[in-house]
Amino acid sequence: MAEFTAAVYQNEFLPDGGTDVNAIVTVTCTGAGTAGQAGSGDAGEIIIVDTSGSMGPATMEAAKDAAKAALAEIVDGTWFAVIAGADRAMLAYPPVTSGPGMVQMDARVRTQAMAAIDRFVGSGGTAISTWLDLAGQLFSSVPSISQRHVLLLTDGENRERPGRLDEAINRATGYFQADCRGAGTDWQVAEIRRIAQALLGSVDIIPRPDQMRAEFQAIMRKSMSRGVADAHLRVWTPQGAQILFVRQVSPTVEDLTARRTPVNPLTGDYPTGAWSDESRDYHVAVRVAAKAVGQEQLAARIQLTLGDDIVTQGLVKATWSSNSELTTRIDQQVAHYTGQTELAAAIQEGLAAKAAGDEATATTKLGRAVALAAATGNAEATTKLRKVVDVENEVEGTVRLKRAVDKADEMALDTASTKTTRIRKDTA
Amino acid sequence: MTTVCAACGAAAAGTARFCEGCGAPLAGAPAAPAVPPTRPGSDDPLSDAPISAPTRRPSAALPDPLPAMTRRPCAECGGEVGPDLYCLECGTKAPSERDHFRESPAPWVAGVCDRGITHARNEDAMALLAGARPGSRAVLVVLDGVSNSIDSDVASLAGAHAAREVLRMPLPAGLGTEESRAAAAARVFDTTVQAANTAIVATTDPDSPNPASATFAVAVVEGDRVHVANIGDSRAYWLPDDGQGVQLSTDDSMAQAQIAAGVPREIAETSPQAHAITKWLGRDSPDLSPHLVTRELSVAGWVLVCSDGLWNYASEPADLTAQIAAAGTTDPAELALALVGFANDCGGQDNITVALARVDPTGSAATTPGAPAASGLGTVGQNADQTEQSGGGPTDPEIDVPDRSDVHELSDLPDHAQEGPSDG
Repeated sequence: MAEFTAAVYQNEFLPDGGTDVNAIVTVTCTGAGTAGQAGSGDAGEIIIVDTSGSMGPATMEAAKDAAKAALAEIVDGTWFAVIAGADRAMLAYPPVTSGPGMVQMDARVRTQAMAAIDRFVGSGGTAISTWLDLAGQLFSSVPSISQRHVLLLTDGENRERPGRLDEAINRATGYFQADCRGAGTDWQVAEIRRIAQALLGSVDIIPRPDQMRAEFQAIMRKSMSRGVADAHLRVWTPQGAQILFVRQVSPTVEDLTARRTPVNPLTGDYPTGAWSDESRDYHVAVRVAAKAVGQEQLAARIQLTLGDDIVTQGLVKATWSSNSELTTRIDQQVAHYTGQTELAAAIQEGLAAKAAGDEATATTKLGRAVALAAATGNAEATTKLRKVVDVENEVEGTVRLKRAVDKADEMALDTASTKTTRIRKDTA
Repeated sequence: MTTVCAACGAAAAGTARFCEGCGAPLAGAPAAPAVPPTRPGSDDPLSDAPISAPTRRPSAALPDPLPAMTRRPCAECGGEVGPDLYCLECGTKAPSERDHFRESPAPWVAGVCDRGITHARNEDAMALLAGARPGSRAVLVVLDGVSNSIDSDVASLAGAHAAREVLRMPLPAGLGTEESRAAAAARVFDTTVQAANTAIVATTDPDSPNPASATFAVAVVEGDRVHVANIGDSRAYWLPDDGQGVQLSTDDSMAQAQIAAGVPREIAETSPQAHAITKWLGRDSPDLSPHLVTRELSVAGWVLVCSDGLWNYASEPADLTAQIAAAGTTDPAELALALVGFANDCGGQDNITVALARVDPTGSAATTPGAPAASGLGTVGQNADQTEQSGGGPTDPEIDVPDRSDVHELSDLPDHAQEGPSDG
């Protein structure tokens, strides 16, 4: 049985008249077990492979190999299906035309599914909305599935009329999760990131075909380790308070503020998807009415819920004090993640400006990103930034844009922009 | 075997120790001791005396107030307080039981002990007892821990509980004469002070450079009399509904010394040294003899015992009477809250304790001379079943309280003029 714990990091002391409370809540899950084995419902996996004409022979072979490796990772008993995606989505496995569109994994069907994947031929365009819609239909054909996960691989830009993809994303949001990968450099990071963020998954680039197999294995292994199907972050705030934002800040930055589902006037749920044995950090900022010096009050109750069960809770407090030594301190965790969030924005805005030809803005933003990555100790971001800019002064963030940049490096920097690093908690 | 919860009336299995319905302890549980649940031994001077420990409580002994069954609603917005002790509506932190507690041993006796606003902790303490019948017998104990000594919040509460234990039984009648009766009562109050002091010293670290200390003020209402004993500057007042109130206690303070020397009260009580007390309980107590006074209560009114957290803002009896009139209630629990609220509204610069007994000898509940005195002393309302099952039947006349038919007017002070309600 999975167990959850929550820890709150904050400076609860506010100066006289202070209203804004910031806290980092670390939620940790242990004993998650294996997907679909907790007794709360079955797990379902759908592998979507881009089979459009743009997939070159090498990429296609690697994708087939990787998809087969992913099949090998799916635990027996898990419901699964394989979709070949092009102008429209085709159910590659199981070979059915009516009834449930998914089958439960065992050695026999695994072999059959692998054979089906081997028959993939690249042709046609890319209409990702049809892929997502078919995945949703397949999941809904098996009512016992409560944990739905998609692994999506594409190599090209979506070729549909504007809006179609967003409509499909909206239909899928809250229904299944999706980890998305782009092969090569002809796909749009922003487009695929939109899918992954809405569907509570990750996005990354697979620059070379030979990296695909390991990546697919890792994604599927991770998905299979998510034994907790669907958890929500429940946030209570007092009467009259205002939630400034709710963000996941680790392992990646995801703004959840707009994804609130009201539970009652003071309480709202934010989706967190399935959990494996892991720790996630959330940054919650609440504005409360100022109280007199010496008063203490609760600014937020942060809970993790599975259905109606509250499995853990952290309390965010506010205490008004006239002691400026207490009130001026900024919690180390809050400061760290505030910097990491700004880092993610600086990288994305800098790369967008660069793509638009606005070199001045790009230089400023990426310079700021270099300084933030150094200050918050984000070595991965630093390494990736240095492939895009020449750093003159890391501390002050003075950089020059590199003249010749590998497109893959730029996309890798973009996809990794939301990844954050942790700092040691014991010093907080 | 089944039993019935004294608090909510729900049926419970005979072996159950707590009510399934409301969580209250069940007195009828076989494993429960014969006496109602008592606090740990440090509160009870007899706790380590197994030979003489009573196996059941005499019927004349006043029962303990029932513990609060549920969390009180939020003081700020009236909302429900969650299990994490924060309001589920407005998030206000509920005060700890030490920072704010209330006792209401009978509908006519109640008190509130509150941290106030500016102090970091509540060093005041309060302990109340009362018989169920209005005007029968009540014990109001207030101790004010001295804030510049160490652990005086722990010490004051221990002292208050020890004092309450001594006063659980009615005051003795002596040999029947007034002198003898007064001397016997004085001995009881001396014992009470000693017990409180012993409890305070017991909580003090022997090496403490700044031992815990506290004031002491007790009022015992027995029928139509109130007996008051005090050390330090916590006070007892008699505040009749009509007519002038009077301060019954005598402060042991620099201010009082100055007043005695002729300085006007307003000047003396606001001087920088006004709150320096000249006597207190504790390891370094200079003198443990209390001021004693007894007064006949012939009209309806309030016996008030309070700490300086209240009287700082309303020292004159007339000022207190005005606040009582403003509250406009005869419910002691409501009035105690109102007076604490008044002190907090004035700034709450100190811990505030307000203990009240509503006395109304003219009402239907007036004492009948010669009536079996024990009849009103056994139990408190909803506690009846509990006491019954623990052995001491409410009508078990083991000990008689003094027969009040021969009470003489001892202390009808000259200022007791009937001038009608004071305006405020």
